[in-house]
Amino acid sequence: MAEVSALELSVADCLLVQIEAWDGTFEQFQSDLSRTFGIALPATVGETVRQPSLRAIKVAPRRFWLLYDTSGGPSVEVDPDLGALTHLGEGRIRVRLCGDRLPGVLAGCIAVDWRSQAVAPGKAIQTSFHGVPVLFVRTGEAECELIVPRSFSRSILDWLKDSAGGVELEGSDNSGMHPKF
Amino acid sequence: MNSRNKRLPSGGRIDRARPVDFTFDGKKLCGFHGDTLASALLANDVALVGRSFKYHRPRGIFSAGPEEPNALVTLGTGGRREPNLPATTLELADGMAAESQNRWPSLGFDIQSVNGLFAPFLSAGFYYKTFMGPTRRAWMFYEHFIRRAAGLGRAGVDADPDQYEVRHAFCDVAVIGGGPAGLSAARAAATAGARVALIEQDFLFGGQLLSKRTDGGAAAWLATIEAELRGFENVTMMARTTAFGVYDGGVLGLVGQQGNVDPDRAGSPRQVFTMLRACSIVFAAGAIERPLVFPDNDRPGVMLASAARAYLNRFAVLPGKRVVVAITNDSAWRAAFDLAVAGAEVTVADLRPVPASYLLAEAARLGVSVRTGARIARIRGAHRVNAVTLAGPKTQADIACDLVCVSGGWSPTVHLTSHLGVRPIYRGDIDGFIPGALPASQFVAGSIAGQYATAEAVEAGHRAGVEAASFCGKSKPARAPAKLDLRDTVSTPFRDPGSAGRGKAFVDFQMDVTVADIALAHREGYESVEHLKRYTTLGMGTDQGKTSNFSALAAMAALCDATIPETGVTAFRPPYTPVAIGALAGRAVGHHFKPFRRTPMHDWHQANGAEMLEVGLWMRPWFYRNSGRDVNEAYVAEMRMVREAAGLMDISTLGKIDVQGPDAAIFLDRVYANGFAKLPVGRARYGVMLRDDGIVFDDGTTTRLSENSFFMTTSTAKAADVLSRLEFLLDTAWPELRVAVTSVSDEWAAMSIAGPKSRDLLSAALPGIDVSNEALPHMSLLESAWQGKSLRILRLSYSGERAYEVYVGASAGERLWTHLLAAGEPLGLKPYGVEALGALRVEKGHVAGPEIDGRTTLDDLGLGRMAGKRTGFVGDVLRRRPAFQAADRHRLVGLECVEEGQRLRGGAILFKLGEAIQGHGHGRITSVTYSPTLGKYIGLGLFAGDLAIEGTEVLAAYPMKKEQVRARIVSPVFLDPEGKRLRG
Repeated sequence: MAEVSALELSVADCLLVQIEAWDGTFEQFQSDLSRTFGIALPATVGETVRQPSLRAIKVAPRRFWLLYDTSGGPSVEVDPDLGALTHLGEGRIRVRLCGDRLPGVLAGCIAVDWRSQAVAPGKAIQTSFHGVPVLFVRTGEAECELIVPRSFSRSILDWLKDSAGGVELEGSDNSGMHPKF
Repeated sequence: MNSRNKRLPSGGRIDRARPVDFTFDGKKLCGFHGDTLASALLANDVALVGRSFKYHRPRGIFSAGPEEPNALVTLGTGGRREPNLPATTLELADGMAAESQNRWPSLGFDIQSVNGLFAPFLSAGFYYKTFMGPTRRAWMFYEHFIRRAAGLGRAGVDADPDQYEVRHAFCDVAVIGGGPAGLSAARAAATAGARVALIEQDFLFGGQLLSKRTDGGAAAWLATIEAELRGFENVTMMARTTAFGVYDGGVLGLVGQQGNVDPDRAGSPRQVFTMLRACSIVFAAGAIERPLVFPDNDRPGVMLASAARAYLNRFAVLPGKRVVVAITNDSAWRAAFDLAVAGAEVTVADLRPVPASYLLAEAARLGVSVRTGARIARIRGAHRVNAVTLAGPKTQADIACDLVCVSGGWSPTVHLTSHLGVRPIYRGDIDGFIPGALPASQFVAGSIAGQYATAEAVEAGHRAGVEAASFCGKSKPARAPAKLDLRDTVSTPFRDPGSAGRGKAFVDFQMDVTVADIALAHREGYESVEHLKRYTTLGMGTDQGKTSNFSALAAMAALCDATIPETGVTAFRPPYTPVAIGALAGRAVGHHFKPFRRTPMHDWHQANGAEMLEVGLWMRPWFYRNSGRDVNEAYVAEMRMVREAAGLMDISTLGKIDVQGPDAAIFLDRVYANGFAKLPVGRARYGVMLRDDGIVFDDGTTTRLSENSFFMTTSTAKAADVLSRLEFLLDTAWPELRVAVTSVSDEWAAMSIAGPKSRDLLSAALPGIDVSNEALPHMSLLESAWQGKSLRILRLSYSGERAYEVYVGASAGERLWTHLLAAGEPLGLKPYGVEALGALRVEKGHVAGPEIDGRTTLDDLGLGRMAGKRTGFVGDVLRRRPAFQAADRHRLVGLECVEEGQRLRGGAILFKLGEAIQGHGHGRITSVTYSPTLGKYIGLGLFAGDLAIEGTEVLAAYPMKKEQVRARIVSPVFLDPEGKRLRG
């Protein structure tokens, strides 16, 4: 990762699976996931649950994103009578940022209050970045990730680089490559 | 202090060790760090600084704040040129080059000041009455000259080279106003534990305290509390920052000035627009002094009393040596006393018959002469006041002077509190409007609430700060600040009824609105304040009538014999002060103007000669330069390639939606006009969605992946709208359906291989996959994998040729694209762009955006049979309304040009042959292309159904180019109507 003036920024492919429960089936849906795949789900929208190889994020009342750290994590299946599963691992990229300058740089990008409990470490928020919907995940005191639609990612990264004063991007430790758009 | 320099030898809050050079209308002048442009001009004895809007009357500096109506200047040159800036708010900086405005050839000699002679013809609404004829179009002629004659500064036309920035910020308590009430509120809220943002438009905190002597108690109190606030880690002090708007959800619009000429700001933004989200807000915005209305009250040298005091005590400028202070209240006496102490010869003309005795005693002590019950009847001097005539109850006297200070009381600055629709309420005891009933999260303190006494403002600020913090859940005990009693008194309201006499008595200085204009509006029936405002342009200048509002209300109330509350008040809307467009845009200029979407093959397109086209937010290949010299040559060549061999098209921009669930088929049956429930697994179907009103919404294909899973595609343009629509229907209309819809537009790279050789090259490129007609017939799906990525091949055709849509995981898109091109090269495969794609679909008669334009129905587009007699889908009921069945509704037709060497144009209006070319005709051409297959221009159009008989000739008129060409109505399907090519 490149370090420029206390801001590190890297990009990686985004291993992401969306799962969703039908209305009225959530209890069994959750129980199945926990029993069969060992995945615990967060209770409220914006909450995340960190697990050995993934982070589960509640992005809507019955909808969750499973954000895998690396490929080869536990695969998930969903009983169609209980809910749906959609692979979203190709359509987004994962922008990781950390450093002391992060709150200041992000203030020029997204409306997220770095000091709010709503975005305390471990919390996630869907927000708008230059008019583009992104998922903001606070991963640490001075760390976060942005899950960005792939088609918009170059525009977003350009904006981010300019806001940060010309930080150069490096590819991820996962893929070792620059994201292709 | 010499005769040309009004700077006092000591005092003020300027830094005399840091002189500042600047120019005004090219003349070199000098001020000090800590000056405003206005104070520096006054110090240099510059009295005339501008010309008025309509009459081009000479104007001087009137105030010391953002309410300034007169002293507007232009700063900068080229792209940095910015007009209409109040000199009273511009922090003086080295190299500042200010220009006066609205004058020619010079400020001192302005030709258009002749307008004053024609004043009787230039009254309110004169152009509504005067420029009515002789024809209806005459206004278009007059408008040009009126616009050239009117106006203030002129904006530049060059691109602004400076940077601006938009930022998001958050706090518990936002305090607007850094005067005694605001400082006290911020301190209380911070002590209570709240995160505080203290917002002050000035470059110094203190508000009216800055106008007090720097060696007094006010200055000491200010220094103490400011130091205390700076010591809080939870306080952000935002000087040079104006809160210009209040919006829902506790959002404040702030614009911060970096400084107009600041050598230290290289690389940093010139202005920062901050969207501050606050849990609670304390409004401590103060009050604005009202002027008095009397003949020629706009002459340079007439100034608000509070401004004179500010220039004297804050900037160490004695704005006049012989001063007449014309007032109706106690507060302005303080200005008179300070001016007298500074050495001016002062006469107070108090309209009240009996001012307070302690004021009279102090006046006597300081040698200030006093005339009670007196008002100004006349002003002498053109470019600078040199005398006034004071009219008393019984006597009249001429007094020589070089400065006239006026004060008609105070108007609380209620603008921001009104932005969310809270109407101000009138308080008789202060004869002014204060904020109305605010939401629970908003508080007021100080002069804005009519608490004019400093001690009262400080206490009220403390209370407001505590309450605002408590609203945010912060309630640590906060001790009160040190008392600050300046013994400023609140006088009994005494409204000046105005005076008659020769000369214009201005109510709105900036818009040149006089008492006579208001009287005229009243006579003509414009009695509502909102009508008055629009008829006279009162309050519509850059100052938004900050000094004129109350005077105008009072004048209209008097004319209507009504009270002020009965007369009402105009609505205050954002922005409080003008905001540069650049600040609102921030970084969103140039390549950041909007975010672009790039397909997975974007880089390849650019590297291989694609001319890119913006389609919505997407960047798409328009045509490839190696296909032809320009788009017209290229698209025809690319069409031929597709018709004769094969072409590869990037269609990743199509909207793609994953539809899943046990009720997915039922759901699709309801959202599409044609049925989907019986669609077999592995098959695709073209579908059309209607809006509730029966108009076509969008079209696309949906493929059944499994019993409960579908893959929907939408048009590029409507992708987001369709997803929103589906989510809306699931959430509101049919929440019982177990269906999940998810956009997968970014998941898949998509490419279309079209042409007679498409199957061969696909077989060559993907040898392990059977794409024969038996394995993959038209409108069917094949799922596989390629290099570990999911692969979908859909046999669909938009061009009318045998064609396949190939979908692969986005990260592998470019690899598969180049692989297909390499494999297809021996067969002549090349890429083609959207221009050729659009032309191919016209030949095939497929409708697209130009036809699905929000006005057409299924029947209009010839798709009525898709729905047949089905019911129960969105738009089903209203599509059958009688108006949609009218025989003359415009229906889809094909058109071919019948004149040799001529062409059709999209947008041309269609008329019957021999018909007069006027009006809207009987239809229009929606899409046009040159057809290399047919060797002529062809098009699709919408034409009156009762006239749309195939074989009929019509006239296509294109008035923009004065073209008229004959065309024949034909079937919209120009090519292969049986569909042999696409099914073969």
